[in-house]
Amino acid sequence: MNTAFLDFFIDPVLRAPTIGSMLMCLAASFVGVLAFVRRRSLLGEALSHCAYPGVVISALITPLFFSASEEALALAVLIGAFCSGVIGLWVIDKLEHRFRVSDDAALCFVLAIFFGVGVLVASRIQITHALIYRKIQVFIYGQAATMTDSHVYMYSGLVLLSATILFCFYREIQVSFFDRQFAKSIGIRTRLVDRVLFFLLVLAIVIGIRSVGVVLMAGMLISPAVAARQFTHSLKWMFCIAGLVGAVSGFLGNFFSIALPEWGKKAGFDWDFILPTGPMILLSSVTICFFALFFAPDRGLLSRFCRIVKFRDRCILENVLKSMWRKGEGAKVSFKEFASWASYSQFFTFFLLLRLRRQGWMEKKQNLFCLTSDGRLRAAHIVRLHRLWEVYLVHMGQKAEKVHRSAEEMEHIITPELEKELTDLLKDPRQDPHHQPIPRKEV
Amino acid sequence: MNLNPYWGAGFFHVLALFFKRLFLFLTGQLSWQQMASDEVQIFVLVLLSFASALIGTFLVLKRMTMLANSLSHTILLGIVIAYVVLLPFSQENPSHGLSIEVLLIASLITGVITTVLTQLMTHLMKLQEDASIGLIFTSLFALGIIAVTVFTRNAHIGIEAIMGNIDALHFNDLKIMGLIGAVDFVVIMLFFKEFKIVSFDSGLARSCGYPIQFFNYLLMVLTSATAIGAFRAVGVLLFLAFLVGLPLTARLLTQRLHKMILLAFVIGTVCSIVAVALSRHLLSIYKMPLSTSGLVVTLIGCTYFLACLFSPHRGILKRRS
Repeated sequence: MNTAFLDFFIDPVLRAPTIGSMLMCLAASFVGVLAFVRRRSLLGEALSHCAYPGVVISALITPLFFSASEEALALAVLIGAFCSGVIGLWVIDKLEHRFRVSDDAALCFVLAIFFGVGVLVASRIQITHALIYRKIQVFIYGQAATMTDSHVYMYSGLVLLSATILFCFYREIQVSFFDRQFAKSIGIRTRLVDRVLFFLLVLAIVIGIRSVGVVLMAGMLISPAVAARQFTHSLKWMFCIAGLVGAVSGFLGNFFSIALPEWGKKAGFDWDFILPTGPMILLSSVTICFFALFFAPDRGLLSRFCRIVKFRDRCILENVLKSMWRKGEGAKVSFKEFASWASYSQFFTFFLLLRLRRQGWMEKKQNLFCLTSDGRLRAAHIVRLHRLWEVYLVHMGQKAEKVHRSAEEMEHIITPELEKELTDLLKDPRQDPHHQPIPRKEV
Repeated sequence: MNLNPYWGAGFFHVLALFFKRLFLFLTGQLSWQQMASDEVQIFVLVLLSFASALIGTFLVLKRMTMLANSLSHTILLGIVIAYVVLLPFSQENPSHGLSIEVLLIASLITGVITTVLTQLMTHLMKLQEDASIGLIFTSLFALGIIAVTVFTRNAHIGIEAIMGNIDALHFNDLKIMGLIGAVDFVVIMLFFKEFKIVSFDSGLARSCGYPIQFFNYLLMVLTSATAIGAFRAVGVLLFLAFLVGLPLTARLLTQRLHKMILLAFVIGTVCSIVAVALSRHLLSIYKMPLSTSGLVVTLIGCTYFLACLFSPHRGILKRRS
């Protein structure tokens, strides 16, 4: 069997699981953004476990009243999961506020106890209703493969519902997240907004546990939000990116769970199985998330690291210029002398000098190095910033003998705007606190 | 194969029989090899509540329970890694349960990897702490499930890991649990003062020069060792309920650290004995086999609720009156 991308949307067996997981991941990532911004990411972990006893109990009760048709059972399970999720939420809230349990302990306790109750009831069902028991176990690790078209209709309805609520309350949510006091003052009922948020959270979990399972639901809420945060500062775009990441990973999870064993078989392994979909969805989403954490343009680890290296490098260059400037106008230094007072290796010094000459700040005359006029201007500017900062610190009440160290750092950081502010504030001083002249600002 | 003496016994009958046989065991009139499966269950659960009273108290005080939660998930990956590393060296069939060295390696790997990765995410990637916990443990757990699927060609093996299979407990499990309990006890007693100061006032601890990070890692390694001991015996879920539920219940009843640990242990012991007796009672009188792990967790939840009602300093009944 060779599965192409498009088959996942057309093939009657693959279509329902793929679209179902994509919808569910979409809902989860929308709500995950809310939880992430509210700094309650692990609430999802607790609530997904809380939903389990609801699933089990409703599966036990439903056949007593209704005919045990597939659709009725699926709907009952959703309602049960929702109810026990809400109860779990209430208990967590009580524990935290009434009994002063720290939030992590409250979450952990509630998830363990609720899940335990679920296990207890499930062990009863295991004997009495073996068929239903097998259907319920699906919820622990999730199983997208057995989804049918009716599931997809139900889930798309729920996703539409949560998206609509989110859209209607968008302004209120946004304002009350970023400034609670302000939101209260303009008449937004922040407690109501919180309730809506928690309602959405439980809803997303109820939708999600069918395909990724109780245990992995937390990761599905968090990872798209984290990935989206790396790329943008705006809440609106965060929703869009997180939704995209979620939907894509929902598809990729289904794709790889079938494609990976096939590739393994082609490579000669004895892989005659289908990988579980839930973990694959989560792993795809986490992979995207890690990619974003490392390589995002502004906040990524790589670009932050590059910025640090660049800044250090600039500091070194500027320090060299400064010390050449101090030698006086027209001072000439041989390579050996240079290497001895800059405490770097010969190799590094060679490159340093090469780069300084490339920049046009230094020149080489008969094996001796000296500053060009450009270099002198640049160095004078740094010294000016250094001494300006010293004057400013003394102006602010610091002792003159203590200001040098701070100025050593600030001279590399001060921007032209700040320099202008300082000059205006200090009325363009001529001397620093150590009675050294401050170089004039060149035009 | 001798018949289980508890067969067909009711609740109080089980209790009476248990204490009578316990006396016989202690005085040497019955050899330890003759232990019935109900007794093995009780002893394992009591040892587990001992270990988790010791560790869990500090975890709750240090607000590290969510890290313990993530450890209880990631040990799945730790065990798989330990098997893959050790398989070439061991002669025995890996399906025969865990040998001690596998346990040790798995718990070390898991404890350190999970904690290091989570801290890396928080410090290096500048992520919120709870988000990094959630991200790391779910992805490691997913990797664990995939690895188990690839190695065993069965996608449903992990369910037992969560639920545990308390009815299949063996005398060897008791030995492992006893060993882990002893290790926990020795380590906590050795560093009791240090753990106390680190969990109550980490600022003071730092200024006194205690290596805070070292104690965090030590606690995490102990936790994962206990989790792995509990993993096969009772499932990670029950372990979590013990680890968090017992100290929280004890916390409602007392304000002192020594008493809190002791009380947590006592509550755990009572819950375990009652749960095993209750499940035997239900089986013999009503012919209703229930999961003992589920029963213990539910009992712990009920005990917490009772403690909420009657707690001396913040109980519900106290304030109203």
